[in-house]
Amino acid sequence: MNPIRSRMIKAAARAALAVLVLALPGLAQVPASKPAGTPPPALLTVFLDWPGADIEAIRAEIPFVAFVPSPDGANVRVVVAPLGPPPEGRLRIEVAGLGEFQGQDNVLTYAPGRDEKPGEVRKGVTALVRLGLLRYAAKTAAAKDLSIKFLDQAKPTAVNDRWNFWVFSLSGNAFLSGETQYRSHSYYASVSANRTTPALKIRTQVYGNWSGSWFDLGDGTSYESSTHGRGASGMVVKSLGRHWSAGGYLEAEASTYSNLKMSLSAAPALEYDVFPYSESTRRQLRILYRIGLTRTRYYEETVYFKTSETLFQEALSVAYEAVQPWGKVSLQIEGSHFFHNVKFNRVELEGGLEFRIWRGLSLELDGSYSRIRDQIALSAAGYSYEDILLQQKQLATGFDYSFSVGLSFSFGSTRSNVVNPRFGNGGRSISISL
Amino acid sequence: MRKPIQAAVLLACLAALAPARAAARPVQAGPAGQAGIDEMKKAAVKVFLDCDSCDLDFIKTEITFVNYVRDRLEAQVHVLVSTQSTGGGGVEYTITFIGQNDCSDLQDVQKCFSSKTDTEDEIRRGLVKALKLGLMSFVARTPIAGRIAVDYARPKAGAAGPDRWRSWVFSLSGNGYFSGEETYLSRSIYGSFSANRVTPRSKLKLGLSVDASKQRYETEDGPVTGKTSSQDLTGLFVRSLGEHWSVGAYVEIESSLYSNIDIGFSLAPAVEYNFFPYSQSSRRQLRALYKLSLNPVRYREATIFGKLRETLFQESLSLTLDLREKLGTISLSVEASNYLHDLGKYRVDTFAIVNLRLYKGLSVYVIGDYSWIHDQLSLLGREATYEELLLRLRELPMSDNYFAAIGFQFQFGSIFTNVINPRFGSSGGGGLSIKVN
Repeated sequence: MNPIRSRMIKAAARAALAVLVLALPGLAQVPASKPAGTPPPALLTVFLDWPGADIEAIRAEIPFVAFVPSPDGANVRVVVAPLGPPPEGRLRIEVAGLGEFQGQDNVLTYAPGRDEKPGEVRKGVTALVRLGLLRYAAKTAAAKDLSIKFLDQAKPTAVNDRWNFWVFSLSGNAFLSGETQYRSHSYYASVSANRTTPALKIRTQVYGNWSGSWFDLGDGTSYESSTHGRGASGMVVKSLGRHWSAGGYLEAEASTYSNLKMSLSAAPALEYDVFPYSESTRRQLRILYRIGLTRTRYYEETVYFKTSETLFQEALSVAYEAVQPWGKVSLQIEGSHFFHNVKFNRVELEGGLEFRIWRGLSLELDGSYSRIRDQIALSAAGYSYEDILLQQKQLATGFDYSFSVGLSFSFGSTRSNVVNPRFGNGGRSISISL
Repeated sequence: MRKPIQAAVLLACLAALAPARAAARPVQAGPAGQAGIDEMKKAAVKVFLDCDSCDLDFIKTEITFVNYVRDRLEAQVHVLVSTQSTGGGGVEYTITFIGQNDCSDLQDVQKCFSSKTDTEDEIRRGLVKALKLGLMSFVARTPIAGRIAVDYARPKAGAAGPDRWRSWVFSLSGNGYFSGEETYLSRSIYGSFSANRVTPRSKLKLGLSVDASKQRYETEDGPVTGKTSSQDLTGLFVRSLGEHWSVGAYVEIESSLYSNIDIGFSLAPAVEYNFFPYSQSSRRQLRALYKLSLNPVRYREATIFGKLRETLFQESLSLTLDLREKLGTISLSVEASNYLHDLGKYRVDTFAIVNLRLYKGLSVYVIGDYSWIHDQLSLLGREATYEELLLRLRELPMSDNYFAAIGFQFQFGSIFTNVINPRFGSSGGGGLSIKVN
């Protein structure tokens, strides 16, 4: 070991210990960085400088602040003054933070309509002042009693969009990991073109993926494996009123995992939502029927002695989702079968629940079960020991399931909003859309 | 958070009673007509919503008086939401409104909090309310401002009483995962208990966790079974010393089959310096932490060095940078540690998350870690079996290990993302969500 390096490390250790020893007796004198749970001011105090304004009327219009007669002690100063010469009639509204709100300023302009009477102009200006004060009021105790509403319904498509709602996207991703005796890599790339409007939804995509892994078996030999897949998909959905939708899927797929050299399918579909689609972020109960034709060629002869075949299939699914104040629930059941032999079928059941039973006691359930009788693509060639352990190929099975349950109970001071980031504060998270 | 029905009832009562309710009236007499509204919507504030943990569909259906864009440079306001966990086990959302283009003179920060016991619906409603309040400064500059009503329900008297739990929070949880098919079976169970007390002056965290898992594969040579289990008891105490310094100690008792540890105890005093003030921690941190630990340990099987038990001294220094900016997220850390009895027994761990919106429509990310490992004192003295190797049940000798995910996305076309269309399911192109501890 390098003696200089070891000396440096020892010196650093001694220095750190010294810091600890010196710091400990001084603990009592150190003020906390912020007192715990400082109560916000009850009401915002506002000094309004608007010559000729009817302060009583404004008080009634803006009840969530206290108007004060001078800027001393006020949190916010509002100055309303004409902008430019009188015939123009525009008014400048300057909202400036004072004291703890120093530097939080905004300048608004009120442009009265042509036939607006003075009373209406005063109302309009008052309304703008009210909006301008909300950012400060949000930091007072009054915030919890405020609510903001948009009085109209605006179409989400009421925008000037030269691309007519088309969005194109290219993405490439690589995942690599390894250690001395193990390496794995996988790559994923896609190109997509999507268009979403309330009347029509179009999704198209072309993708490819490659992955592999390598093991050093320790006795001078190694084991290597790889899988790959590629495909293209398209979906078009036309809205038919508040409950119905019609559309179709087109798909091309190749996959070594699933023994598919090339599979082409087309499937028209129809959907009914028991609740209006406009409630979809709160609840949905969607029933989807799909009927399709699939033409498939296999890499290896299947267990049914086929190297290619063309099949008709139909599927029905029912999906329920709800997000409510007590928690959320989702449940989906799907059944499908091939027409050439209805014994080739599959039933899939999937569900999830997050439920607050009582105060800090909550239950989380997730599960899925599939009854599988339609593995027509299984290779007759069988699998190696490594294929099984490394999940390289789809295996013959009559079912698969997964289930998880979690129960958690929290009590004590669970409403504490203190943030203390010292020595790290939980994890970091990041979401990336592919 | 108020349920819509309650709110409606409340509004109806208030409308009947109080003159103060006048504020709810629309500004302009009569609605402006749908064509007028659509014209106003075209001139509405362009918002770039930069939030990993928000229910975006819900926000877009609740707040319809702005236009949402997918590129930050197009926006008049970049809404950057950063989160930190609170002492009560909830989340603090810091919402920074950064004015851009013709609104570049306007800036604001709003906060909202969720508690550990809040459901997803309560959390998203709280966020929507805070977003609305903060957006109003921008909306007031557009014609659609005339169509916004503000309701104020006069508060009832009565404040929250003193905290009889004195900031203590206790949590107990149990989880089980089971999956299988005809030739494969996997199950794992996990249980934990924690007791935490977090105040601005100090932080005390105690935790116990237990887990066990089992996998079983049917092969032609009979079943192959793999098991792992571990138990862990941890404690952390931190004392605040002003805006930049903290001192504290870690305590841990652990047992792990994977690492060949029957029982290990460690006690580690530590000191931390943050180059940024701690009060800015939701947006930026650069923390250096030095730790010196005493670690008596007993192994399950004799180690590669022929030891069954030993007492180790270890020191470590880590440097962590966390930035959350308009351009994206950067999180880097490096930790170096070594044993004091043999400085050749050391390791260096590096970790990086970089997710940047570089230019119009182009974003790139790199997530990765790399470790140089020369301190595997607990390795098995014997060879691992073939199953232990393939199922990764035991720690194997290694000199390095890494993980990397790299990718880019380039988008062009329409900048608006106002529309929510849930028909035929709303699943997009898939995604990646990574949480790192």
